[in-house]
Order: sequence, then structure tokens, then C-alpha cells
Amino acid sequence: MNSSRFDRILHQVLLVPVLAVLLGAAAIAWQIHGANLTVANIALSDERIAETLIIEKLISDQETGLRGFQTTRDPRFLEPYFSARRQLPDAFQHRTAIATSADRRSNIFRIQQLHDTWEGGFAAPLIASIQGGADTSDVNLNLSGKRMMDQLRKELVDQNSFTTQRRDQYTRDWKNQVRFMTVALLVLAGAIGALIGLYGRKLMHQVSEAYRDSNEALRVRAEHTYQSEQRIRTILQSIGDGVIACNAQGIIEDINDVACELTGWPEQGARNLPLTDVFRVISQSTREPVENPIDKIKRITRIVGLGRDTILIRRDGSEIFIDDSGAPIRDKQGNLVGFVLVFRDITIAKKSQETILANEKLAVAGRLAATIAHEIHNPLDSVSNILYLLGGPSTPEETHRFLQLASQELARVTHITRAMLSLYSETNTPVHLNMREFLDSILTLMERRFLSDSITVETEIPDTLNIRGFPAELRQVFSNLLTNAAEAAGHHGIIRLKANPVDQSPYDTGRLASPGVVVTIEDHGPGIPDTLRPDLFKPFISTKAQPGTGLGLWVSRGIINRHGGTIELKSSTAPDTHGTTVSVFLAADPVMEVAGE
Amino acid sequence: MESLETTKDQRLILCVDDELVGLEIRKVLLERAGYKVLSAPNGPAGIELFASQPVDAVVLDFAMPGMNGGEVAVTMRSLKPKVPILMLSAFTSLPSEVTGLVDTYMTKGEGAPALLVRLGSLLQ
Repeated sequence: MNSSRFDRILHQVLLVPVLAVLLGAAAIAWQIHGANLTVANIALSDERIAETLIIEKLISDQETGLRGFQTTRDPRFLEPYFSARRQLPDAFQHRTAIATSADRRSNIFRIQQLHDTWEGGFAAPLIASIQGGADTSDVNLNLSGKRMMDQLRKELVDQNSFTTQRRDQYTRDWKNQVRFMTVALLVLAGAIGALIGLYGRKLMHQVSEAYRDSNEALRVRAEHTYQSEQRIRTILQSIGDGVIACNAQGIIEDINDVACELTGWPEQGARNLPLTDVFRVISQSTREPVENPIDKIKRITRIVGLGRDTILIRRDGSEIFIDDSGAPIRDKQGNLVGFVLVFRDITIAKKSQETILANEKLAVAGRLAATIAHEIHNPLDSVSNILYLLGGPSTPEETHRFLQLASQELARVTHITRAMLSLYSETNTPVHLNMREFLDSILTLMERRFLSDSITVETEIPDTLNIRGFPAELRQVFSNLLTNAAEAAGHHGIIRLKANPVDQSPYDTGRLASPGVVVTIEDHGPGIPDTLRPDLFKPFISTKAQPGTGLGLWVSRGIINRHGGTIELKSSTAPDTHGTTVSVFLAADPVMEVAGE
Repeated sequence: MESLETTKDQRLILCVDDELVGLEIRKVLLERAGYKVLSAPNGPAGIELFASQPVDAVVLDFAMPGMNGGEVAVTMRSLKPKVPILMLSAFTSLPSEVTGLVDTYMTKGEGAPALLVRLGSLLQ
């Protein structure tokens, strides 16, 4: 259930009872208003009755006073008479004012006229007569006064009777109203209660349904979250690389099985430990601890490789080569909340790379061995034939000539083996090399190769160029490059081999500038197509018709880089300018990265 | 370069090799074994002799400047297909495309008796 729906139901729950109660209250107020009107009428009736009774009493007081005065001729008896006479006009006026209708007002007016008639026609003359000393015992006179008073009284009684009836009527009305109100209230209360109940039930039903929906939605979401988490865990565990996730403080929060295996730490043991306790890495070349991966990620704030020659020290102290990378984890606002580190065991790859390099060395050595075997077989054949001839009859001159030739041929063998030994003598430290002598010795051994394809090698190498380096490795480089050039140049081709001193590498090496030598090997073969050029220095790439190992240039570049040098290749396949030029810069006094093996 | 009259019992052998000492010794060796010998220091010279002289067999080197033994053998085969060719090289092995061009292949240094036996069987 969404919150707006829930809010709407809450509003309805509050509003409907309030409306119903307001409606009930309005009905009650209306009823009370009716009852109040009736009660007011009753009160008015009471006032009319009281006022009529006052008038009746005042008139009665007048008559009584008049009778007393008539009997005793004492004027004190007239006091009530005059008192009533003073009060009566107001009483009549008030009574007229509160009369129910015009009809009743004319009735009261008639009563007032009757009283005035009695007073003016009987009472006032009688008093005057008595005060004059006249006899007032005349029966007819008195009967006339009595008749007047009787009629007046009758009118008053009628009036009161009418008012009393009206009052009774009002009282009945009031009782009916009260009864009706009671019933109506009960019915209304019941109806409101029922309405609120039914409506509440409906709303509660909706709420309960919505609650169930929400619960279901929550359950589904929780299920999805659980599945998603399981999925992520499965993915994490299925990744072939070691993965460690840390919080922003570098404390390990998650570690997959591969990472456990590589580090030698169990998952539970590694959790909540600082990364640097579990992931201990040192540099292969310096054996010094490498920069804390987290510091590096913090500094660079994106995915970073953490160095190529990294060794991981496992929990048991054993070491493996790893390749690793790390990345920051950020929340939606971009705040750093942790780090993830991915690493893999490259020990086998490293070893196979070393094996590949060794194989290439062996291949080069094999080719050279074949060349040398060839060079030795020729004089060996002559010597062997001379020995055979000396076994038969020969003149002393012949014998002398044969021995001279044999000695010459054996000298050739010695020359070749010595040249080979000088080139292949392995050293652990770089030695001084004169470029002219060095390149010439290579050319000597390759002479036969060039000869068989009628290739001319034009050289331009000053005597004065000296560098420091590992001769065996550099020999591998140049015999490789010269073999490539010979294969490209083809029959009757020309190879130009030049060496020049330079103040610094003509290429951006990313190193400090240092003086050295640039050796260029130029052929006018078909050239290397543009599409192949980017891959040339990668392993297992061969552009030759009869593929070699595809490692030559890759290995060569590795050796040259180790000598603080660079190798560049320019090639053209255009009809006029086709050919390839390889330039090798070698620093005169290089800082060796890693000693040759 | 020499031109000789051959007798019926003396077979004429042509040796082609750029190794001059080896060529000289081989010539003496074969002559002592009873053959007549012509020698040439490179492919073109060898082909010229082969074309002009009644050569019975050829002892041919492989690695030579300008024109290698394979190329020489192809030309000789096109001139006189029936003349046997023995390829004698300092390489311990050569690709089959090359050895397929000649009748037999030997490595230098196998010794004089071996060469004489092979040559004898070729001429039969």
C-alpha cells in the first residue's frame, strides 16, 4: 500500500464520524430549538394567566373596597379601590401587549371597556352619592352594578380559561416534542453508530487489504533483495580472481573464496581485519612493501593497476606473483564508502613467460648452432679428405701441400669457435662493447646466410662507438633484426647497417636523457602493411611467409628496454619507397633494470 | 676451368663448390679414385661446364653466393635430366624441396670412403 492511499483512508476514518456527529448535533439542535419555542410559549401562557389573575384581583379589590365604603361610609375602605384603579391601566396595557392574537386583544379591550363601564356607570357615581350622603341601598341600583361585575368576571374567567387551554396545548406539544426528540435521538445515534461502524468496517477492510498487499510487496521485495544478494555473492564467489571489498577505513567487509585461497586466510578470519594485514604485497624487484593499495586508490580516485611486479605474501609466508587492480566504491552522492580490490595469481603466467623467453633464446641458439655447424663442416670435410689422401701414396710435395691446407682449415675452425665463444660468453654484469667489433662479429657468423641469398650488406659503423651491455642478449637482438632484414630483402637484396652516436634517445623513452648509439637496419623489402604494424611487438605475431616463433621483436624489445634503450620501426609498402627501417637506441652507460639471467 | 678428353673407362665428374680448399682436395681425391674431374667455384661456371662437357655425374654444394645448389640443380636437370647429381653440403639437413631436386644428399665431413661409395653407386 502506498502512503497516499493510507493517508486517504485515515482522513476518511476521521472525517466520516465527525460529519455524522455534526449531522446528529444539527438535528438535536433543531429539536431543542423547537422544544425551546414551545417552552417559551408555555412561559408566555403562564404570564398571560398571571396577568389576567392580577387584573381579576385588582377588580375584585375595587369591588370589595367599594362594598366596604358603601357599608361603613369610611373612606379608608376606598384605598384598595383607588390603588387598583391606578394599577389597572398598566395591567391592561401589559395584558394587551402579550395577547396571543388580535382576537384576544379585542377581547381584553372589551373586558377593559366593561370595567370602565362598571367603574364610570356604577362605582364612581355610587362613591359620589355616598360621599354626598345619599342613600345607596336601592336594590335595582345594586343589582345593576352586580350584573355589570358578573359579566366582567365571566369575561375574565373565559379569558383565563382560554389561556389555560392554550397552555395545556403547549404543554402537550412540549411533551410530544420531548418524546419525539428522545426517539429521534436514539434512532439517529443508532444510525450514526451503524453508519460509522459499516463505513469503518469498509475502511478497515481496505486498510487490512492494503496492509496485506504491503506485506506481500515487502515479502517479494525482501525475497528479491535476498536473491539479489545471493546472486551477488554467487557472482563474487564465482569470479576466478580474488576479490576483497573494504569499507572507507580499509577494514575488510567481504572476501571471496579465491581471495581466501590466494591470501591463505579463512573468510571469517579475514573479515573485519585491516586490508594491510591480509593483503601483504611487496615489489618483486626491490623486495620493499609497495604503496598501500587504498592510499593509491584514494590518491588517484579511479580504477588503478597496482604495479606489475607485485608479490603477495600469503599467511603462511609463501609468495605468489599477482596482478592486481583496485577501485573506489562510491554512494549515490559520490562519497567514498569503500574500496574493492581484484587480484589474480600470475605465477604460472610469469613462469610460462620466462619459459617462452628461454625457448626463444634456445631457438636463436639453435639457429646459430646450425650456422656454426655449417661453418665447421666445410673445413672438417677438407681435413677428413686430406687424412684419407695421406693414408695413400703421395709425393713429399703433395704431402707438404696437404698438411699446409689441413692446418689452414683447422685454423678456420678455431677462428669460428673463438668468435662464437666470445659472443656467447655469459656475464652477470654488463661489459664494455665496441659497436664496430660487436656488429662485425655478428655479420661474420651470418655471412654464409647473406651469401646464399646474394644479399649485400653495406655497413657504416665508426670505430669509436662504445656502450655497456650484455653481449649475448644484444647479439640475440641484432642477429634477429638482421635475419628479419635478410628475409625481407630477398634475393640480391641490400641491407644497410649504420651506427651513429647521439646525445639522447630520439624517441620519448620516459627516462632521463642520456647519450648513446642509434643503430639502424634498413632493407628494401616489400614493407609491413599498416594493419599489422600495431601488433608487431606483441608475442606470437609473425608476418613471415614461413612463420617463425613470432617472438623475435617482442623479445628484442624486452632486451632493449632492459638496456635502457628503445626500438622503433618504420615501414612503407608504397611502390617507390617500400622497405623497413628499424632503429635501435642503446644508452652508452645504461642503468640496468633487472640483471640478465 | 679445364677441358679434357674422356676415355671410356674414365668417368667425368663435375664438382661445384665455393669452398676453394675443399674443392681442390676433393678433385685430388676423386682423381686418385680413378675419375676425371672438372671443378667450378660457383653455380654459373658449373652450369657452363655441365652444358659443354660430357659429364657423367655432379658433386654439388648447396650454400653458394649468387646461385645456390638448388637453383643449379634445377638448371642442370632441365639441360640433361639423366645425369646423376650428388648434393654435398655442410648443412646436416636440407628441406625436402631441395633434396628432392637431386639423386642423393650427403653432409660434408662424412669422410672420403662414404663419398666414393655413394658416387660409385650413383654411376652404376
